[in-house]
Amino acid sequence: MKNGLTLFLGVFATLALSWAGLLLAAHKQLGALPQFKDPVEETLNPLPLSGLARQGALVYQDLGCATCHTQQVRGNSYDTGENSRNWGERAGYPRDYIRDSVVLIGSSRLGPDLRNVGKRIPEAEYFYKLLYAPESKVGGAALAHGMPAYKFLFTERAIAGSQPSYKAVKLPSGFAPAEGTEVVPTARADALVAYLLSLKDTYDYPTERGLNAPAAHAKEGGH
Amino acid sequence: MNSPVSPSRVEQQEIDASAKWPVLVFLGSALAWLLLGGVMALAANIQLHNPAFLSGCEWTTHGRLAPAAENVLVYGWGFNAAFAFALWLMARLSATTLRHGGWLFVGAKFWNLGVTLGVGGILAGYSTSFDLLEMPRFVVLLLLVAYALIGVWAVTTFSIRNTENVYASQWYIFGAAFWFPWLYSVAQIMLFRAPVRGVLQPIVDAWYVNGLYSLWFVPMALAAIYYFLPKLLGKPIKSYYLAPLAFWWLVVGSALAGGSRLVGAPVPVWIPTLGIVSHMLLVLPLVVLAINFLGTLKGSLGAIAGSLTLRFITLSIVGFFVATILAMGLAVRGVAATTAFTLWESLRDWLFLYATFSVAMFGAAYFYLPRLTGKVWRSSALTAVHFGATVLGVVLLVIGMGGAGCTQAHQLADASVSFAKITDSLAGWHTFNSVALGLLLLGNVAFFLNFIWISCPINSRSTANADIPVPPALTLATKEGHA
Repeated sequence: MKNGLTLFLGVFATLALSWAGLLLAAHKQLGALPQFKDPVEETLNPLPLSGLARQGALVYQDLGCATCHTQQVRGNSYDTGENSRNWGERAGYPRDYIRDSVVLIGSSRLGPDLRNVGKRIPEAEYFYKLLYAPESKVGGAALAHGMPAYKFLFTERAIAGSQPSYKAVKLPSGFAPAEGTEVVPTARADALVAYLLSLKDTYDYPTERGLNAPAAHAKEGGH
Repeated sequence: MNSPVSPSRVEQQEIDASAKWPVLVFLGSALAWLLLGGVMALAANIQLHNPAFLSGCEWTTHGRLAPAAENVLVYGWGFNAAFAFALWLMARLSATTLRHGGWLFVGAKFWNLGVTLGVGGILAGYSTSFDLLEMPRFVVLLLLVAYALIGVWAVTTFSIRNTENVYASQWYIFGAAFWFPWLYSVAQIMLFRAPVRGVLQPIVDAWYVNGLYSLWFVPMALAAIYYFLPKLLGKPIKSYYLAPLAFWWLVVGSALAGGSRLVGAPVPVWIPTLGIVSHMLLVLPLVVLAINFLGTLKGSLGAIAGSLTLRFITLSIVGFFVATILAMGLAVRGVAATTAFTLWESLRDWLFLYATFSVAMFGAAYFYLPRLTGKVWRSSALTAVHFGATVLGVVLLVIGMGGAGCTQAHQLADASVSFAKITDSLAGWHTFNSVALGLLLLGNVAFFLNFIWISCPINSRSTANADIPVPPALTLATKEGHA
């Protein structure tokens, strides 16, 4: 190899091939994936996120939750605890993700998968407690091991009037603030919890069901 | 066939003199980022076994600190070190001086400004949360323009070369100089300017991350290995005629291998399959590179012990093979079923960045710094600390992250083990890894001190002038375009 031009063309072709072969081909296949209209219920799936949940997705993004949490449930052939951990009733399809404007499927499970956490734990109260004091105990066991607290998503303030705000987080003793003060979530905490509660892929698309069938019947991709 | 120009020592000195200040500026900023990144990576790792550590402040919560540390190491240390090394080597191999150094200083300033703003942006909450593309959108143009100001001189130096032949190191540097800006701008456009929908976003990110490691960091390391082995051993690369085959096969194969990061992900099956197949095809270039490198090293163990650069380069060769074989193993569907999302994947990426690339850059710096500054290393104790801490740190981190990955993979697959239990059983491994990261940081501090001594004109008055030995005569090397 002595010719600079040949080298350049080869270098260009290498990346062009990988771009066209991987990204362009994937875009052609998935780029225009529409919502699915349920023939009986006449609903469009996946449902778009609510406005508050959309804001929560931005909080999820800025706090870097995806550093330790995935949002993907793998197919049956990869079932290594996902179904049994109740992380999802079925594997995820590309169509599940078209409702998210930023898709953070994550690559590390230092924390549990969150794709269906809104289905698994449908209580806002739980998430507020988890975010403020992850080491607080419910029924003898700590809510989370190894998760940092997000106290900066909450405000500690004096109770105005005779009783605490309806939004005040109910904390077990040892984590509760001093007498006469209360801990209330900020707007960011509200948005984040709304987002977490919205995380559930419960609708099973008849068009994609075959993708979860055993390998012999599996088709490639969602056309 | 022999190159008409066989540069003498004098010409080499002229080339080195032209490269001195740009290289020192790039390497100096690289080392500052390396120390900062080491401290941040250590702090982020401490948070894994001590979650309360620095969690009170929003800027240092783990979800921001860990990606910020990664970005400092990749874009701060990795890129600056690669610029320093690649510009110098390109000038030497092209037997021409490095021109327009002033533009390089401008480029260096803007690049470092971009990384500073980008990392600050991540810490302040403007992260995009896409792996290695976390830096906020407002720094992208800055980084690309700065890169253009720097990368163009690598290409220009190549195009005004005074040699007839083009050596393997030049192919790798030339390729990397083009691949990075293309990868980066395509990823930015497809994720942020005109965002693709749904799972295409993680596909673009996987393609970019894979490209960054295999088409930027690995080529830089291979360029160093191809240059220093014959240079310091005084014999040509064994079976050099196979090197072009390895080059094309390796880059085409690994450029297509990005999908293997998505095994089991909610994407069409052909994407991971293409990645797995491409990874398996890398067997052939690996065999060729093994013949090239190990064949050349064979019978020269004495020389390795005698040269610090060769010791680092040998470590980088080992790191490259271990990392690539690990990447191939983790791509296999059955393996990925349990190792996906565990620390095994972090170990793979870290091996490419640190044990392959960074170690090669250390080796290169130990070679070019005395030649650029005309001084010797002031403290041989510090160089020993650097090498010892690096070897030990790398080995410990492989054990620690591998051990953690095993525990994690086994327990995640067994649904009867509660998630809290998994986290508890990993705490010990995380502590172990913190020690290893601390050790690496110690080694890098030692290197930084030595660097200050050798490069800073005020401090180096008492440093002895270097008597650079004339490299051993190469019988066949001139044929390979050696300068």
